[in-house]
Amino acid sequence: MSIEVTGVNKRFGDFVALENIDLSIPTGQLTALLGPSGGGKTTLLRIIAGLESADSGTVVIEGQDATGLPVQKRNVGFVFQHYAAFKHLSVARNVAFGLEIRKRPKAEIKKKVDELLELVHLGQFAGRLPSQLSGGQRQRMALARALAIEPSVLLLDEPFGALDAKVRKELREWLRRLHDEVHVTTVFVTHDQEEALEVADSIVVINQGRIEQIGSPDDLYDRPANDFVQSFLGPVTTFNGRVVRPHDIDVTTHEVPGTTAGSVDRLTRIGLEVRLDVSVAGSDAPITAVVTRAEALSLGIEPGSKVWLRAV
Amino acid sequence: MAKYLLRTFAIAYLFLLVAWPVSLVVTHTFANGFDALHAIFTNADLLSALRLSAIAAFIATVINTVFGVSVSLLLVRTRFPGQRILGALLDLPLSVSPIVVGLALVLVYGPLNGWFGPALEAQGIHVIYATLGIVLATSFVSLPLVIREVVPVLREVGDDQEQAARSLGANEWQTFWRITLPSIRWAVVYGVVLTLARSLGEFGAVKVVSGNVSGETRTAPLAVEEAYLNFNQEGAYALAFVLASVSVICIAIVAVLRHRSGKVHS
Amino acid sequence: MTTRELRTSGLSRTSGVGLGITMLWFSLLVLIPLIAVLVTASEGGWANFVRTVTNEQTAHAIKLTLAGAVAVTVINVFTGTVIAWVLVRDRFPGKALLEFVIDIPFALPTIVAGLVLLSLYGIDSPLGINVANTEASVFLAFLFVTLPFVVRMVQPVLEELDLDVEEAAASLGASRATTFRRIVLPSLAPAIFAGAALSFARGVGEYGSLVLLSGNLPFKSEVASVRILSAIENDNTEGAAAVAAVLLVISLLVIVVLDAIQRKVAQRG
Repeated sequence: MSIEVTGVNKRFGDFVALENIDLSIPTGQLTALLGPSGGGKTTLLRIIAGLESADSGTVVIEGQDATGLPVQKRNVGFVFQHYAAFKHLSVARNVAFGLEIRKRPKAEIKKKVDELLELVHLGQFAGRLPSQLSGGQRQRMALARALAIEPSVLLLDEPFGALDAKVRKELREWLRRLHDEVHVTTVFVTHDQEEALEVADSIVVINQGRIEQIGSPDDLYDRPANDFVQSFLGPVTTFNGRVVRPHDIDVTTHEVPGTTAGSVDRLTRIGLEVRLDVSVAGSDAPITAVVTRAEALSLGIEPGSKVWLRAV
Repeated sequence: MAKYLLRTFAIAYLFLLVAWPVSLVVTHTFANGFDALHAIFTNADLLSALRLSAIAAFIATVINTVFGVSVSLLLVRTRFPGQRILGALLDLPLSVSPIVVGLALVLVYGPLNGWFGPALEAQGIHVIYATLGIVLATSFVSLPLVIREVVPVLREVGDDQEQAARSLGANEWQTFWRITLPSIRWAVVYGVVLTLARSLGEFGAVKVVSGNVSGETRTAPLAVEEAYLNFNQEGAYALAFVLASVSVICIAIVAVLRHRSGKVHS
Repeated sequence: MTTRELRTSGLSRTSGVGLGITMLWFSLLVLIPLIAVLVTASEGGWANFVRTVTNEQTAHAIKLTLAGAVAVTVINVFTGTVIAWVLVRDRFPGKALLEFVIDIPFALPTIVAGLVLLSLYGIDSPLGINVANTEASVFLAFLFVTLPFVVRMVQPVLEELDLDVEEAAASLGASRATTFRRIVLPSLAPAIFAGAALSFARGVGEYGSLVLLSGNLPFKSEVASVRILSAIENDNTEGAAAVAAVLLVISLLVIVVLDAIQRKVAQRG
């Protein structure tokens, strides 16, 4: 186990940020700390890094008790949401910073920096200033900078939060591929479940200072431990008092025993799927059901159509 | 540990260099109770010195406010060749010696040998050795103060609101009066107060252009020098106290206002 | 009416007129008078200029002025940064009072500044330190009037500094001192230089605070601005203009430096 967190508590004044957190992060894996804003995930990440200290509990990194160690001594690579680029230094000097602090020989530093810049595809920008780079490029530089010190763990705090949607998607995939190449134990914080589901090997759902569930993306999506996890990780709708996924609602255009009758209020096409908002007697809010485009076409569903629903 | 060292150093430095000396002026002034102050306010020459300073400072502040706001708008909201050079030159009064300022004005507006002076004298316009000269000298030295407050605010606020106003049909004057001016009002206030303080206190430049004639062209700072050199120490300290109080009140106003508006935003 | 919009590209008619009027005022008040100084200084020819400026008493005054301004600027770089640091990063009761005290030298009439310094460092000094009429008085007066410049330039930059960047440096292994040296200080450097330039210019040109404190003793505590005033009072306008031109050139150099710094900062983004 790369990181062992035991009994960690943290409050800010009256506000309880983390309550009795026990967590083991497997070596070499990409783990996501997922949860709503203010839930405590960033605080936990910063405690692991040593940028904050816990009120109680211990943090063990690679078998060593790091609880009392300042961040300088923990050998963790940290990547910030807003890049934290050293504005007065070139891209190459930024990446070299950690090595220069460790007083490595110049030749070694140059080699390492060149390697890393190639790895993150910023080789041609070595001499530029961060202000001359795009957001996505700056974040790649920040990653190279963190990797340069050969950290035992790589910690990323909402690394793609400041970037626009397209760049975010690209960098997400790129991070996954990078991890497959480099194999450093990586922990990243996000509030975007799509991101966590796509990128992580294992997800830790944190809400209101507590861990709700830990598992693989499939575990969390298909076998959520509670309503919160289920609704946070994917779309949900309440049908007959149960919380179910819109995908899991069967839609027919004729009455079948065991189904509930309703009429379609709205029909929204999202890519290859069609989302139906169906009014059902006895329910205030419309039920959301999702069918494929092919299904919708073959069933001839339109706004106003009468349909029968059943949860699978 | 280093924190306490730095803190102690800063406090000690400011105490020894500024706070203690200033407090001593206060003690000297009130060494005989209110006698010294009373002496000033019953001395016709000193009173007219204060009045002259106030008038010159007021006029200079008005001029520099109008000029300052206009130039700030020109620097931030428009583009023209030489704009950057103008912006840099506007800082000149901060780096030029007051004596050089006085000399420069005398060279141009001097009644006998100035470039424009004689021509103006012929029209009955007295600049050097007259109030107008004092106003010019005062305006010169405090010129950049409003600009340095307003320009950063104009830059930060951006012209979105002004564009919106124009799209709703407002003409240039309406846009300026109803949208731009309110957005910079605090910056203008700070600039005005600082300009006033600086204008009241100008000494060197005014000394050169005014001729320093008691009761006519002697401003309050000049009167302080005169009093001290004539062994009227009490009078000098009292007058200095009055001037210092005005400066201090000006800074206090700005500090309180900044503190208040800062609170609103955070 | 076809008025072009007040866009950030080009001038509308109103702003064109406004520019004309402001430029006229600025020229009449500032530019032409300063040019007159340079013209008058060169009227007698180069040889005359050099003779005036290298006159023993004048040369000494100029040297004293420059040396004093440089010394004070070096000190201000250090003290100004420390004070700005304490104002921004430290917290203690009464800190607001410090903010207030720092602005006093800027707002105080210079003649009053002289009196102020006389009361603590003159004949009746409670500290027993009397620098009146000495070379040191020049140094002290400069120190007083140039106090706020570096502080007020550094303070806003320090306030805007991203703490992220310091945490990043720490995560990469840098100690507090190293982080300050390699990361914080370079960010502050432009502001420090700008403040230093203004502090230097102010020192070089200072007059009022020296009148009562330094005694303006030739070859001892007489500064350049005092020489200029003597020349004016003796109707030696050419001589006055010559020394004034020296000071003016220094002021212009300071402006150039300030502008260069501003451009460099804009580049860093």
